[in-house]
Amino acid sequence: MTDAGRIVLSLGMLALSLGAGVARADDQQALIQRGEYLAIAGDCAACHTEEGRPAFSGGHAISSPLGVIYSTNITPSDSAGIGSYSLEQFDQALRHGVRADGRQLYPAMPYTAYARMRDEDIAALYAYFMHGVAPVDDAPEKTDLPFPFNLRFSMAAWNGLFLDQTPFTPDPDKSEQFNRGAYLVEGLTHCSTCHTPRNMLMAEKQDQALKGASLGTWYAPDITANPNTGIGQWSQQQLIEYLTTGHADNGATAGGPMLEAIDKSFSRMTPEDIKAIATYLLPDSPDTSAPTPAPGLRPIRDNDTPAALEKIGPGERVYRDSCATCHGMQGEGLNGLPALKGHPVLKKPTADNVSMAILEGVWPHQGQAMIGFDEELSDTEIAEVTNYVMHAFGRSDVHTDAARVAELRQGGATSPLLMLARVGMVGAGVALVILIAWSIWRRRRG
Amino acid sequence: MNKDISADVVVIGAGVCGSLLATRLARTGRSVLLLESGPKIRRSDLVRRYRESAFKSDFMSPYPYSPQAPQPRYTPTPNDYLDQAGPHPFKAQYIRIFGGTTWHWAAQLWRNVPNDFRTQSLYGVGRDWPISYDDLEDYYYQAEVIAGVGGEPDNGSPRKQPFPMERVPASWLQQRVTERLAPEFRVIDDATGRNSRSYDGRPACCGNNNCMPICPIDAQYHGGIAAQQAEDSGVEVITEAVVYQLEHDRDGRITAANYYDWDKNRHRVTGRTFVLAANAIETPRLLLMSASEQFPEGLANRHDMVGRHLCDHPAIGVTFDADEPLWPGRGPVSPCSIGQFRDGEFRSEHAPFRIDISNGSKVASVTKELLKEGYFGRELEEQVRFRSARRLSIKNALEQLPDPENRVTLSDKRDDMGLPTPRLHWSVGAYEQKGTEQVRQYYDRIAEKLGATNVQHSKPGAFSNRQHITGTLSMGHDPATSVTDAWGRAHGHDNLFMVGTGVMPTVGTCNVTLTAMALALRTADRIVEETRHD
Repeated sequence: MTDAGRIVLSLGMLALSLGAGVARADDQQALIQRGEYLAIAGDCAACHTEEGRPAFSGGHAISSPLGVIYSTNITPSDSAGIGSYSLEQFDQALRHGVRADGRQLYPAMPYTAYARMRDEDIAALYAYFMHGVAPVDDAPEKTDLPFPFNLRFSMAAWNGLFLDQTPFTPDPDKSEQFNRGAYLVEGLTHCSTCHTPRNMLMAEKQDQALKGASLGTWYAPDITANPNTGIGQWSQQQLIEYLTTGHADNGATAGGPMLEAIDKSFSRMTPEDIKAIATYLLPDSPDTSAPTPAPGLRPIRDNDTPAALEKIGPGERVYRDSCATCHGMQGEGLNGLPALKGHPVLKKPTADNVSMAILEGVWPHQGQAMIGFDEELSDTEIAEVTNYVMHAFGRSDVHTDAARVAELRQGGATSPLLMLARVGMVGAGVALVILIAWSIWRRRRG
Repeated sequence: MNKDISADVVVIGAGVCGSLLATRLARTGRSVLLLESGPKIRRSDLVRRYRESAFKSDFMSPYPYSPQAPQPRYTPTPNDYLDQAGPHPFKAQYIRIFGGTTWHWAAQLWRNVPNDFRTQSLYGVGRDWPISYDDLEDYYYQAEVIAGVGGEPDNGSPRKQPFPMERVPASWLQQRVTERLAPEFRVIDDATGRNSRSYDGRPACCGNNNCMPICPIDAQYHGGIAAQQAEDSGVEVITEAVVYQLEHDRDGRITAANYYDWDKNRHRVTGRTFVLAANAIETPRLLLMSASEQFPEGLANRHDMVGRHLCDHPAIGVTFDADEPLWPGRGPVSPCSIGQFRDGEFRSEHAPFRIDISNGSKVASVTKELLKEGYFGRELEEQVRFRSARRLSIKNALEQLPDPENRVTLSDKRDDMGLPTPRLHWSVGAYEQKGTEQVRQYYDRIAEKLGATNVQHSKPGAFSNRQHITGTLSMGHDPATSVTDAWGRAHGHDNLFMVGTGVMPTVGTCNVTLTAMALALRTADRIVEETRHD
């Protein structure tokens, strides 16, 4: 080979290898971007980013029935975050609930849902958290749960009972869109974390998946396609609108933790993924929403005479003074402010979400907020107006009272779990003694 | 008499200025007592009272009258609480409840223009302030952050920081009027404490168009919010406490305030520092009622200055029907104005002014008018739609020069507590009349540009009040011509301060609350500094 030929060849090889390098960098960049999207869909920031602190540096307090759990720093910091994690260790945390140091995570981290995720999505998330997130060397407050929940190894036994490690398997009889929706709902967007009721040991009841559960204060309603108890009367289009904007033309408006999930996660997901979620949750619902009737003139029905005023009950009284300016005297809404007449929240098996919205208000990132009335109205007044709204505008028989409102004001009922667990440990100890005695007895016999 | 109550600082009057000052002092760890003559009333109860009132055009209708802490009323008939002694009636309107008069307002939070602080030096009229715009700039901004103020940045009042709040979107009326009056008139966003987004635990404006007499959702900042913040900051609040007398020692230092509860039991509170924040008419009244052997003319009144220089914006108005539907009533009631006549060489000749364009719903007034004209049935309905869509109303904020003859004194009449009621003497002079003529010409020009028919000017020679009451406690360096010094301290009483619009030596051409809030914060800082080692 001539020198010239050798030069041409080596130049060619150089160009080739450079090209490969560029391609690898592009791939890596695409992987990081994909991971960023998955982190949004998984709503990692909801718990791991605390307002006023750098992204993903943790420290967000999650009040659980067992005490406050602080989210951890998941930035690629070696000292305070997960910078030293290998892909495998990252996967162990995400899908198996085990940290790099071998200790167990609490299921406040929805690893039971993330366990459904595919390997390639784990890899993309890993790439994002290692290279797309700025490291923060600031360690948040440590979680300190009371005995026996501070014994993290107890979670290993819990995982043995409740962690299903089977990855998601698509249903070949269903469309690709349906399977994508199933993958998201069961895995990444972890809907069941709130919407599936939990058993005594705080594990999701698999036979009641997505059938609605109380979070102590806010109620996460039934989101199955059941037309009576769930969202079966919604069109897919309505659900898409709801997940994208926080409200839908069937009158639904999001509040509390769902509004947060929409603001931070669902509203930032691709239309295809939202459509997939709707397809999965409402497989048989019509694709388009029913046309809304044209607004017409309404006759004036109000009468301010003292005689009429005297007939007003206490709940209606509060409604008129504190609610009607925005929601309308007849619950008809105002210029885009939600109508209460026929609002889906009034059809739930509990009035908690109505009371919670009145207590805390509703504060979306964008658009009109609703003011909270916790300082202005008493428990009795909130119970009365809740009942008025449930009955007058929702035709519901569901009832609340001042005691329940007081409980909601305090952040929900305290969990019997702590007591149960402590008693349970004693019980388990007794069982263990019996078991050992029995096995010794058997061995002796054998 | 009850057992003595005592605090580091005793503040009299729980309006926006007294409350801001009380909050700031309480946050430094001082014990603060806030006395309010009126009751504490929930927003929802005020909304109810307005909803159930037959007098929807009376902005006082949500606010209950109490004989123990009387306030001036004019609907259905005047209650004559204020004794009118001058050629022009001074129809003051103020609210004596926890939170004060800014419960009903349009949250206009304007800064003065810099030249407002030295009209005597520049134009040979009015009075110079003992402080400049620059002295107040930072406090203006602090007050704007507290209230969440937004508006047009290029409005004649230079600012170091952008507005803390983005503008509330312009209503159709504002868009159309802005376009049709340009370029002859520049219509700009008002500076208002009205949320365009969630801010400080309060939601965005949703266009109830009910700013006056009460914002039903607290999208608008007001004194009730400030007063509640004071209470939440650890200020001890006593409502229904009608202070009728201040006591002093031989050096003129204030030692105690005496008040009646609503059952007319007497109480006495002592303190190290006293702050009067009871509005520009009630504070002079209290100073005059506190006359003693040593101070027979009343406190802070050695030179007979208390209550003098009473000013407002003497206003005239015009209404007309534009040649296109503008639909007033959607969005806030007072969103925009014309500010190009606020300052200039002409101030040596005639009064400067701002022109305010109302966006308040005209349905009620138009309906009343049509019923009077004999309309009924279908035709009435059509005409209500037609006229209320086109009706525009405009008024002005015109600077009145401080005149010592315009003043607050005590009348011979007594209120239910047996306390003398305020007497007012007010007239509007040639300088203001000349400015008013200008205003009227501009009104006609504006009407012309909007293709107006049915042009109705307010009655010539009559002036309405804008409730921007200033001057009666004027700040100044010279005790012979002012009541308070540059910090709001009473001349001759070291531990007595005053806040509120009364300390403003001149009224300028804009709503006065923001300037009074800024001054109150400045006075609070001064008190903190002076009492650091107490």
